[in-house]
Amino acid sequence: MHLWLWFSIAALVLWGISGITQKLATNRITSERSFLWFCWAMVALSAVVMLVVHLQWGLGRLVVVSAIAGGALNGVGAWTSFRALESGGKASIVISLVSLYPLLTVLLAVLILGERLTGLQTMGAFTAIAAAILLSVDTSAQA
Amino acid sequence: MPVIPHSHYARPVQSTSADSNLALSRRIPKWLLWSLLTIVLWGTWGLVSKIASTGVDAYMNQLLYTAGLAPLMVFVAITVHRERGKVSANRNSGIFWAFFTGILGGVGNIAFFQALVKGGKASVVAPVTALFPMVTVLLALMFLKEKLGRTQWLGLALAFAAIYMLSV
Repeated sequence: MHLWLWFSIAALVLWGISGITQKLATNRITSERSFLWFCWAMVALSAVVMLVVHLQWGLGRLVVVSAIAGGALNGVGAWTSFRALESGGKASIVISLVSLYPLLTVLLAVLILGERLTGLQTMGAFTAIAAAILLSVDTSAQA
Repeated sequence: MPVIPHSHYARPVQSTSADSNLALSRRIPKWLLWSLLTIVLWGTWGLVSKIASTGVDAYMNQLLYTAGLAPLMVFVAITVHRERGKVSANRNSGIFWAFFTGILGGVGNIAFFQALVKGGKASVVAPVTALFPMVTVLLALMFLKEKLGRTQWLGLALAFAAIYMLSV
């Protein structure tokens, strides 16, 4: 199995566990406070990374801007998803809908980065998106 | 969105972009607009992460990612500070779980960036990692004794099938 796939699965597992811990947090405190402490943890982790890892400096402007934009896009995306829920969107629908985001990544990666997928990978990408939507459906909302 | 006074509608005016925006927001519910905006933001995140990974390692990417979070953090901190009067009995444990979520999310980010650095295509890594609800669902099934509906069982089956198809 490719190394990148192992790392992808590691991300999937860690983010999956964080789905449970996030629920434990927001059962006790507001989503804003939870998000703030989530960010503080990112700051703490970054401090540890700076101390422990030998970092490469002297980076190109495009990659620096892209990496910083990544944090901003992901953070603002989390905030807009909270706003969607607070604006009256049902959790089962909002979460399923926002699970479509990889579809845009696939589209942009093909159009802008010129990435090419095999037929099976294309089918896999769409199956993954369908699976993410089905998994996000709140079964209690279906009852 | 700015609040437009009623008098605005009383006089005949030519259609402006502000008018069409208002008409759009009337046709489309706000939650849907916020959801679509979330898709755009998160979808673009996958793209910029791949661009960044061509020139930085996963650790530096996480460091810069956190820098990108900083302005939003200030905004949220102000909001939280305004509501500081509301203290729940479980606040400390809530903070602990939120902080732990951040650590898991951050280490997960490093793994995500590493997948991109190690040659994973954004168009493959993004759909694979977006399957993280499968782990949440499995853990909820095992530890929280939550019951799964047929939809989620189907989702789990499709998730495993997708990982196989994307990995070959």
